[in-house]
Parts: sequence; C-alpha cells; structure tokens
Amino acid sequence: MAAVPRDPISDVQQRILERQNTPWKKGVRRLQGLFVDAVLILLVLLMLEFLALAFSGRRGPTGLLLTPEEILDRLTYPWLALAAGFLALVWNLFYRAIGTSPGRALVRGAMKEEENLPWTQTSRGWFSVLLIQLTFFTGWLVTEVQVVAFLTKFSKAQDIVRGLMNPSADVLHQGLILLVQTIFLAFMATAFAIPIAFAVSFLAARNLTRANFWSRTAYLVVRTLMNLTRAVEPLVWALIFISWVGIGPFAGVLALWVHSVAALVKLYSEQIESIDNGPVEAITATGASTLQVLRYGVVPQVIPPFLSFTIYRWDINVRMSTIIGFVGGGGIGYILKPRVDLGAWGEVGTLVILIAVTVWMMDIVSAKIRERIV
Amino acid sequence: MSGPSEMQRREAVRIEGLSKVYDDGTLALDGVDLTVYEGEFLVVLGLSGSGKSTLLRCVNRLIEPTEGRILIHGEDMTAATGRTLRRMRSDVAMIFQQFNLVRRHTVLTNVLSGSLGRSGRLGSYFLRFSEIERKKALEFLERVGLEGRDQSRADALSGGQQQRVAIARALMQEAKLVLADEPVASLDPALRHSVMRHIEGLNRDEGMTVMCTLHDIDLVRRYATRLVALRAGRKVWEGTADEFDDETFLEIYGQEAEPAAEVA
Ligand SMILES: Nc1ncnc2c1ncn2[C@@H]1O[C@H](COP(=O)(O)OP(=O)(O)OP(=O)(O)O)[C@@H](O)[C@H]1O
Ligand SMILES: [Mg+2]
Repeated sequence: MAAVPRDPISDVQQRILERQNTPWKKGVRRLQGLFVDAVLILLVLLMLEFLALAFSGRRGPTGLLLTPEEILDRLTYPWLALAAGFLALVWNLFYRAIGTSPGRALVRGAMKEEENLPWTQTSRGWFSVLLIQLTFFTGWLVTEVQVVAFLTKFSKAQDIVRGLMNPSADVLHQGLILLVQTIFLAFMATAFAIPIAFAVSFLAARNLTRANFWSRTAYLVVRTLMNLTRAVEPLVWALIFISWVGIGPFAGVLALWVHSVAALVKLYSEQIESIDNGPVEAITATGASTLQVLRYGVVPQVIPPFLSFTIYRWDINVRMSTIIGFVGGGGIGYILKPRVDLGAWGEVGTLVILIAVTVWMMDIVSAKIRERIV
Repeated sequence: MSGPSEMQRREAVRIEGLSKVYDDGTLALDGVDLTVYEGEFLVVLGLSGSGKSTLLRCVNRLIEPTEGRILIHGEDMTAATGRTLRRMRSDVAMIFQQFNLVRRHTVLTNVLSGSLGRSGRLGSYFLRFSEIERKKALEFLERVGLEGRDQSRADALSGGQQQRVAIARALMQEAKLVLADEPVASLDPALRHSVMRHIEGLNRDEGMTVMCTLHDIDLVRRYATRLVALRAGRKVWEGTADEFDDETFLEIYGQEAEPAAEVA
C-alpha cells in the first residue's frame, strides 16, 4: 500500500511503525484477508449453483426431481473453489477501484474514504446483503420448509395433544420422587462445577492474561478446551459417563458438571473482563503479587455477579437434567422416555406438567435471589 | 526542604528519554528527560491529553514505557521484573483521581492493602493482617480524620473521605515516593484543600517525594515546590513555583494546543 501523506511523525513513532509493519506481518495479514474473501465468495457461488440446480427442474437417475441433499452432493466444489480464489484475488488486487473487500475490511480496516459511507454505497455492503439473502433462500430449500403442512395438518397431532391435556395419575408418585432426584442432580452438578470454573475463569479472561507469553498461551489453551467442551452436548457427555460409571443419576451429575464448568467459565471470564480496572491498578501499585492483585482487585468485584450466574446455571441444569434421563443419566427423564416411545400420552402429560411446574418455580426463585444479590 | 540549594540534592526519580506510544499509535510521551529530587513536591502541568497521567503511570510501570529509562533512587525501574519490580513498586505509592478503593471491602481492609507489597503471607488471601499492621492502619486512619469509620464499607464514604482512605493506604505502604494523578479533580472545591493538605503532610512530615498532576492553578501555586510542564508529550517548561508567573502560564496553556500526531 502506498504511504498516505500524513503529518510529520516523531522518531519514536517511526521506529514503532517499522517494528509493527515487518513485511512478514504485512504478508500474513494480506493472506488472512484474502482467505476470508475466498471463503465468502465460495459460499455465494455454491448457493447460486444450488439455487440454479433447484429451479432448473433437473431430474435425478430415478426420474424424480433432485432432493436438496442430492443437489448438495452434486455441486462442483473444486471448480467453484478455484473461481472463488481467483475472484478474491482480483478483489484484493483492485480494491481501490472495486471498493474494500469484506476480508480486507475485517483484517485491516476499510479505506479511509469508505469509513463513513452507508452500506448502500459500498461494494462490501451489497455483497453482505447478497450473502444473507442467498443464505435465507437456500436455507428454506435445504431444511424443506413446508408452510402448507404446518398450517393445515394439525389434526394428525391431535391425539398427543389430547393425551397431554388429560394427565393420568398413575405415574404421579414415581414422578415426584424422581423430580426430587432431578433437582439434587442439578444441584450437585452445579456445586462440583463452581470451584473449578472459578479457578479456571481467571485464565480465560483476556484482561488478566496479556502480561507475558505464558499467560497468553494459557488463555488460548483454556479458551479452546472450554469451547470444545461446550460444543459437545450434555446428552453426549451423559453417554460417555454412563459407560464410565454406569447408568444412574451420578452419570447425569458428571455430564451436567462438565458442561456447567465450560459454561460457567465463559460467563465468569466475561464478567472478569468487564471489571473496573481502577482497583486492580491501585493494588498493583502497592507492589502486591499477582495472586494478591486478583484477591483484592478482582475477586471483590466479581463475587456478586458470579453468585448470580451460578444460580442461573443451577436453573438451567434443572431443565437439562430432565432430558439427561432419556439416555439413562437419572432423573425424571428416565421414566419419561419409555412412555413417549409407547405413546402413553396421558402419563407423558403428567410428567411434562411436573417438569414445567418445577422449571417455572426454579425460574421465579432464581430470578428473585439474583435480584437481591446484584 | 524548600530551597533546593540548601542541602545536597539526592535524586529520587531520574527519567531519561522516556517515550510512550500506545497500541493505537497515539504518541503520549516523546523523549521526556526529568529529574525529581528527594523531598520535592513536583507538580506536572499541561493541557488535557499532554501526557501527564501517562508520565506518572510509567514511573511505577502501570504502563510499559516504549523507550527510555527510569531510575528510582538510582535503581533501574524499567529493567525490573518479578520480585524486584514488586519490591520497587512497594516504595512508590499512588493516589488516583477516582480513588480506586476496593469498594466492597471495609475502610480498614483498604488501608491494610497498602501493606500487601511486604506481606506475602498466606493470611493476606483471607484479609488477615498482623496486629501490628492493624494498629498502624487505625493510627493512619485517625491521622486523616477518619477514626471510627474503619468498619464502614468503602463505597459508603463520600468522595473526600474515600480519597483520605487512599492517602491512609499510601501511608500504610511506607513508600518513599508518592504519585498523585489529579487527586482532587473529582472533589468538591471546598474539600480540595483538606485533601491536598494531607498530601502535603506526606511530603513534609513523612519526607515522601511527591509527583502530582493538578489542573487548578491556585492549588499549584500553593503546594508545588517545583513545576514541570508538558505539551503533546514533550517537556516544554521547568522551574520553581516562584518562576511560574502569568507569562509562563500563558506560554503553557494560552496558545491553541496542537493535538498529538497519530500514526495509522
Ligand atoms: N490507553 C490508551 N490508549 C490509547 N491512547 C491513550 C491511552 N491513554 C491515553 N491515551 C492518549 O495519550 C495522550 C496522553 O494522555 P494522558 O492521559 O497521559 O493525558 P493527560 O495529560 O493525563 O490528560 P488529562 O489532563 O485529560 O488527564 C492522549 O492523547 C490520550 O488520548
Ligand atoms: Mg490524566
């Protein structure tokens, strides 16, 4: 990029600029922008081809119209990827004429003269709108949206709804007992999660991990681990722990525990990132150690919101623990699943009402407690 | 300790070629050289954005200087790391415009936190301090006129009271140097002298060297023994309180300030 003439800058700034803009770093940033553009353009091209195939009336080997899945199978991925790469390259080379590309804008910021334009006057604005529109139409076809069935075929579900409306008292007793188990299950999972999430969340907060190479590495590792953990559904964790410790509520506790740690670390660390830095600076200035700075500058500020998040998490865990039983993780779900499979809708109705009342009450209680704390 | 020539002047802080460029490219300090002598009450002047806060924060490394060197009592602060850095910091107390107390802790705990630099003990994690330290803290609270308030929560106090707690914290730190960044700017004008007099007390009675930024020219004239003026990150004037006349004032504040140049 040609240097834009600017006010004379001082020697220090000149030296900083040279340190920051090594050719290597510049190159990496260029490649990042190019890559983002290539991916975005590829998405547009793929969806265009998808829509073209869907509306061309082309038939498959069976003589029927192609299903969305068959179309996805037939898209010309390699060629479109090549084309996307080429187009991205063109856009990045001639961005002055075309307007800043989305990738370049993301990685290095838009050109000065584009900064304050409304989206209708930038090419990347139009590109974004095209991308969103295409995604919506393609999504409509891929998920096989059927407006007519939704509006006219309610009668087929009537049996189930009628059953739910007429709960049977047969499972009430057993349901209540398992409900108690469900609430304790959620509580234990939350209790086990608190100390670990508390300790780890400091390593997952950006503002506390800028100091040196090791803390930045710890941040990256913790974040990645937690994101992966959260990406795996509690149901899957339940299956893992059922084979580990056997069917029963403890497997459910472990499944919700793992998921809660990851979720709480995210909530806690975001809270840590938004604290007032003043007390941290004041304590640092006394010559306190890093742990003392955390204890005096950070912890007092985050305790009330942490409590609030934790209660909220218990609330979520109660909701989740009703499902955990579906696969054998204990709780009320354990007797719900077979009745769903058998179509015993009256009994299902009873259990659903029990769950709904519990969730509703947890919701009110946790909201009240959180109101008091914050 | 007013007349600089009366005694042999020992250096408390020596700043050499100090520059700071923030991550966004703002040049906040540009090659500042400055020596502060023991026992001085040095006031740093300058328009908003001239780099006063940045200068003070570089001295105890709350901000990492980009270039340059800072010696505190002859020891290199800029090269210090780990334990050495913490020990050197514990000799430098700081007083902030926004007080920066731990709001949910008691006044007493806030004062006691000034001693954290020398108490690495386990007890400090449970807000426990030795009886000697507690006695000292109560004494300092009395000195700043807050006896009986030691068990109040810090945020239950008024601004002026909070700043006096911060001064007690600085006393507790038993520092040799005090950095005060606009210590009275968020206080009622009527309260300013009461807080400033306590800072003067740190200087006169405790023999602490003070580096202070102030906006109010009356306060500057009343408390400073020496002055330094910054503009756009450069030192543009330096002199004693007597030399700071109206002409100098116009020189520092009068002309239209140029905003500091920025790098893309
Ligand atoms: N964290 C930061 N990131 C980027 N730029 C900053 C940061 N802090 C300060 N600056 C900039 O550095 C320059 C000097 O700021 P500094 O706070 O030191 O000035 P100051 O003299 O203390 O001003 P004031 O009298 O308003 O407190 C200003 O241009 C300011 O915008
Ligand atoms: Mg300032």
